[in-house]
Amino acid sequence: MSKDTHSMPENRTWREIPQDVSPRAMSREGRRRLAMGVMRATLGAFVAGLLAWGAWETAAVLRESPESMSGAAKSDRVRSLVLVTDGVLDRNWLARTLSIPQDATLMGLDLNQLRSRVLADAQVSSASIVRNFPDRLSVRISERSPVVRIMAQAGGEAPAMLLVSRDGVAFPGTGFDPAMVATLPWLDGVRLARSGRSFAPIRGMREVSELLASAKLEAEGLYRTWQVLSLARLATDGEIDVRTRDGMRVVFGTREDYLRQIARLDILVDDSKDPTRPLREVNLSLGSQVPVAYGTAAPALAEPPVGTANAGPAKPIIGYPAFPNLHIDSHREL
Amino acid sequence: MSSKTTFIGAVEIGTAKVTALVGEYTGREIAIIGCGECTSRGVIKGSVVDYRAATECTHNALEIAERDANERIDHVYLAQTGGHLEGFYNEASVNVKAADNMIEMDDIRTVCDLAKAKDLPLGRMVVHNIRRPFRVDGRLVPTSPENLVGQKLEVGYWTVHGQEQRLADNIHVIRGFNLEVRELVLASLASGHMVTSLEERQNGVLAIDIGAGTTDYVLYRNGAPHTTGVVAVGGGHFTNDISLGLRLTEGQAEKLKLRFGRAVVQARDKSEKVWLDGNFAIGDRQFSRHAIESITAARGWELLEVVRKRLGHAFSPEACAGGVVLTGGGAKMPALVECATKVFGTSARLGEAPSWVNENLRDPGYHTALGVLYYGLSALSDNAAATRRKGGFLRNVSRLFAST
Repeated sequence: MSKDTHSMPENRTWREIPQDVSPRAMSREGRRRLAMGVMRATLGAFVAGLLAWGAWETAAVLRESPESMSGAAKSDRVRSLVLVTDGVLDRNWLARTLSIPQDATLMGLDLNQLRSRVLADAQVSSASIVRNFPDRLSVRISERSPVVRIMAQAGGEAPAMLLVSRDGVAFPGTGFDPAMVATLPWLDGVRLARSGRSFAPIRGMREVSELLASAKLEAEGLYRTWQVLSLARLATDGEIDVRTRDGMRVVFGTREDYLRQIARLDILVDDSKDPTRPLREVNLSLGSQVPVAYGTAAPALAEPPVGTANAGPAKPIIGYPAFPNLHIDSHREL
Repeated sequence: MSSKTTFIGAVEIGTAKVTALVGEYTGREIAIIGCGECTSRGVIKGSVVDYRAATECTHNALEIAERDANERIDHVYLAQTGGHLEGFYNEASVNVKAADNMIEMDDIRTVCDLAKAKDLPLGRMVVHNIRRPFRVDGRLVPTSPENLVGQKLEVGYWTVHGQEQRLADNIHVIRGFNLEVRELVLASLASGHMVTSLEERQNGVLAIDIGAGTTDYVLYRNGAPHTTGVVAVGGGHFTNDISLGLRLTEGQAEKLKLRFGRAVVQARDKSEKVWLDGNFAIGDRQFSRHAIESITAARGWELLEVVRKRLGHAFSPEACAGGVVLTGGGAKMPALVECATKVFGTSARLGEAPSWVNENLRDPGYHTALGVLYYGLSALSDNAAATRRKGGFLRNVSRLFAST
């Protein structure tokens, strides 16, 4: 049967009976229920309208003058600042950074703005600020730890030392012990790029951090001799050049385990105690084949080869070969 | 209280009494939490004849039920009975469209629409469209035939329809309480579902609900309602017969019927007398017990005979393994079960409510209201949204009365 069912008239069902009855046909209880229903609906609409109006007014007040909301909650003038940190920054730094006026009340503070001020210091990685009524402002921060240092010179300004954290962020480094800072190696072969009022994170710091952490943990004696780390060939060859205080150049490869490379270096250094043939270059980036170069005479200690990173265009920091007076005279397999 | 909790009312506007039940549906559980009952007025043979009187007693029952439940009813499921309700069967068949003869939803929709498309007389409205099982090339398919393979798909509908004005009167009585009637439920389907089991409905069973003004019946086959009907004779006619036969008032006749009426004559001694009141007061009289029993037995036999005749070929003892189940206030008459056994030539029993029903609602007089409430709560728990969609009602009826 191929009859078109769309043209078939449908029978009337009881649902087509209109259910509305006039109030006169209702019983007293029915009319009461109807009145209650209408009243409830009216009341609901009124309450909803009231809430909407209240929300609109509040939004308008906040939009036009947020400070007028301070009267909503009772609060006193800010009398104490509390700093909770996992680093070295102190309360003076906090007071300096926040610059809260003397007569500011707790509710009058714009916490978002204060937080932005705290985070403007690149040494702070995260911050939260809470009001403790009636008069205390608590600031909890998490600080970056430096792993290397770098000399930066922007435009015509004098070169300044910056510290670099594991995540590559360069920051001035407030409150750190100078003796500790002096133990940090210098970073070279990188270009600092401006990002707002600070610098963009330096690429490759993850590899550097791992190398330094491994060295510090497993061979602290070697680590202490490291003076400059160059990342000039990190992106192209996957190598980190380390120059020690006695002029030796060590090349680490990022593709092999740092612990193994450090162990090889340690053995080589231990085996080369002859002062007439000091080690001048060790290339650990080639795996088990380790090219080693010895010097012919003890070199005079040069000025500390402080790497300077200019904010301008990049220029070659370390040429290759870096040590033309050296020659490779042996290959040792370790 | 959860915001999802819904309170529904099940109302039966009967000839003798109006019953209102309140059910609570919390989204996970269903429960009966209130009951209201009121003597009916303004209703004859299931139809409203005095709007004001019927409204008053119905609203009274609703108020009592709401007070008992301590909650307000959200909407109502209304039992529908009355001599104006009639039914007919219509079937249709289609050739399966797909080249691989796999039945698709489109085929099912077409055959269902065709089976329901039979014009009703003027002033009549559909109350229920009850689908019988599908047939695929003559093979019985109780559920959906979608994805079955066959050439010819057949289906039949038992359509129950009623007079528009009488349906509207019942709805307006409820609406006068400022409550929406969500669904009309045929009284026979409601009470039949309460007193029969799934197995009985599968094997075939006849449920007869004897009320005060009407007798509703439903015959189940293959798990689905096969035929329904209403006979405009009920317990009130037993009373009327006694009143006429023994020249008594209706109240006195009702009293005698309740105390001495039987559907099968038991008294052998024709001279055995019974007192009208038994208090020896002025006006107290004696009547022949045999006469009373003869009157009620004749009327009982006649009533069941009428039901049997109405069913015609649809009923046969062989195709009705579940027997006959009697319910409703009139079914409480002694020996009516015995009478039904003789009339229908099959086993008969008095219907009982399911075990989860409270003790004070187990009387056969509440079975219709319970069935309506069960229907409403089941429809809510199945899918409240589906009931509002067009055609959702049909799905619910088929689920509730065919497969549950």
